[in-house]
Amino acid sequence: MRSSMIRHLILKDWRLNRMPISLSIVLGLIALLVAQCGVEAVRLLGSVWFFISLCVLGSMLPGVAIVNERKKQTLAFVMSLPVSSVQYTIAKGLSILAMFLFPWLTLLISALVVIETRDDIPHGVIPMLIILAMLPLIGFCIMSAAALVGESEGWLMVASVLCNSSYWFAWYLLARMPSLAANWGRPVAVWNPAAFMVLSSEVGSIALIMAITFFFQSRKRDFI
Amino acid sequence: MHGGFTFSQSDKRPIYLQIMEQIKQRIAVGDWAEGQPIPSIRQLAVDLHVSVITVKRAYYELEREGIIVTQHGKGSHVASTPGLGARLHEQELEQHLEQATRIAAQLGMRPKELEDRLREAGDRLAEKDLI
Amino acid sequence: MTDLATDLAVELRGVSKKYRYFTLDNIHLKLPRGQIMGLIGANGAGKSTTIRILMGLVHQDSGEARVLGHSMPAEQVAAKWDIGFASEDMRLYDSMTLGWHMSFIQSIYSTWDSAYAHLLLKRFGLRADQKIKGLSHGQRVKAALLLVLARKPKLLVLDEPTTGLDPVARHEILRELTNVMADDSRSILFSSHNTQDVEQISDQITFIDRGRIIDSMDKEAYLDRWRRLRLEVPLGIELPALPGIIGVEQQGRLAVATANAFVPDLAQAYESTGAHVQRVENMTLEEIFIANVERSREEVEA
Repeated sequence: MRSSMIRHLILKDWRLNRMPISLSIVLGLIALLVAQCGVEAVRLLGSVWFFISLCVLGSMLPGVAIVNERKKQTLAFVMSLPVSSVQYTIAKGLSILAMFLFPWLTLLISALVVIETRDDIPHGVIPMLIILAMLPLIGFCIMSAAALVGESEGWLMVASVLCNSSYWFAWYLLARMPSLAANWGRPVAVWNPAAFMVLSSEVGSIALIMAITFFFQSRKRDFI
Repeated sequence: MHGGFTFSQSDKRPIYLQIMEQIKQRIAVGDWAEGQPIPSIRQLAVDLHVSVITVKRAYYELEREGIIVTQHGKGSHVASTPGLGARLHEQELEQHLEQATRIAAQLGMRPKELEDRLREAGDRLAEKDLI
Repeated sequence: MTDLATDLAVELRGVSKKYRYFTLDNIHLKLPRGQIMGLIGANGAGKSTTIRILMGLVHQDSGEARVLGHSMPAEQVAAKWDIGFASEDMRLYDSMTLGWHMSFIQSIYSTWDSAYAHLLLKRFGLRADQKIKGLSHGQRVKAALLLVLARKPKLLVLDEPTTGLDPVARHEILRELTNVMADDSRSILFSSHNTQDVEQISDQITFIDRGRIIDSMDKEAYLDRWRRLRLEVPLGIELPALPGIIGVEQQGRLAVATANAFVPDLAQAYESTGAHVQRVENMTLEEIFIANVERSREEVEA
């Protein structure tokens, strides 16, 4: 009974948010196409666009799937079902994570395929690509946590502004790390200790954000 | 069978009294015969869209007056007392007569005047072929 | 566990909840199984908060809440399998159809009765293929009620189910609510500030005002305790204060006494002082509600 309620809620969220998900995938794929054609400037534009569409998706989903549930007052409807606030949080977290991961993975894998099939892009960029692609994922987790725990558009906006303005800074810092930047141009992907460390701290921070979210959600006494 | 019950909002009497009155009327005019089964409390409540407790009270009072009988597990029925219908009808008449007497007294009428008025009323109705 | 515990569909004992500008204070409530309770109160009296606490959506600061034998909010998941909840500030998903909502609920609850659901669609004048955002207010309320009625839950908890509805819609809903009572194992708790609806279909009445319960009891017994006595008071006679009378309004030689614990002796008590009792009238629930609230607020301020 317990797990099937969570499944029902996840499927419900997927059904409700079909539009935003499909839209972001389409936009991202277009960005990838653009990133491949001709002129260097256009290719650069394409890559930036690719990154941006991930960020946009990351900001939009928490708003659409979490804050709206409170704003549009459908939360009472969901909570009238046989679920606890913890189960709601789990279901919501999983559903939007899946909603984000699906396009994110699609785009990431497509990018990797492009790099594989084209001769003029060195494979050395792969670790960097993955590390950079993790940033919108982390940002997405932070914004979702803010939306769930903060319960308002205000908190989501604060988190959104913080994250979106931090991406570039983080990108800049990471691109400047000598141990990472050194291997950009190599024909083979190089996973050195520095790359591993960065990647694992990224994954670790996601786990930490989730734990904190659950902690606060389970302690709430007035869920509605 | 239980269609036709209506509650008037302008009637300030409690609903249970209105139910009692309408049940008595049906028995008085013979629509509900002596010994005939009547809807269960819950069933009548559902049909009339009123609370169970109100119908319960109506039935309780009716039972106290000997008009209906409720048997545990078997439902309710009109009391099998012979002549119940007529008795109720006469009770209704008594109530009207008492009220007429009261109003006449307020108006300062003497009993003889009231008698004459009653006869006149009878004549009027006979003229119109209503009795 | 004794049978006594499960004979109550809802039981609140000493429930309190403090908010910044409002406090729910020491709420006691009992609804026996198979009955309907009407919760009456002005706007902001605490009806919605009380209902949220018994649904487990809000955690009380103190006191016990038991619904269908389950302790709330700890056992809310178990309880909610058998509770149908609809509230005035609850919304369905605008972009989806009523039919989608019906399938959604049906996929969760095995007690969904398809035939009854379609009957309700007809009775309420709704269509399954309509999107929620295209419905009027009255239709939305009926749609939400359809979703809880068609599952035939053991307990219906409804926050203002008839508020803002036209008379026809109200009648339709009252009819469906009384239909529920055909099954004596099912119960309903609803809040309303429409005293007529409450008076018509409730078995139990609870009055709540400014976070406190003023009265909670059997409707017929309650209505029976209240009377208006219309008195004619000759000059020079002063009306005594009698037990069971909560207020007297006098203008010139006519007075109206309001009794909340009426016994026939009261009329005689007045007569023996020289006042003449013209009429003893029953009061509607609305009149009782207003008299009660005024009295309770005076007491608090005193």
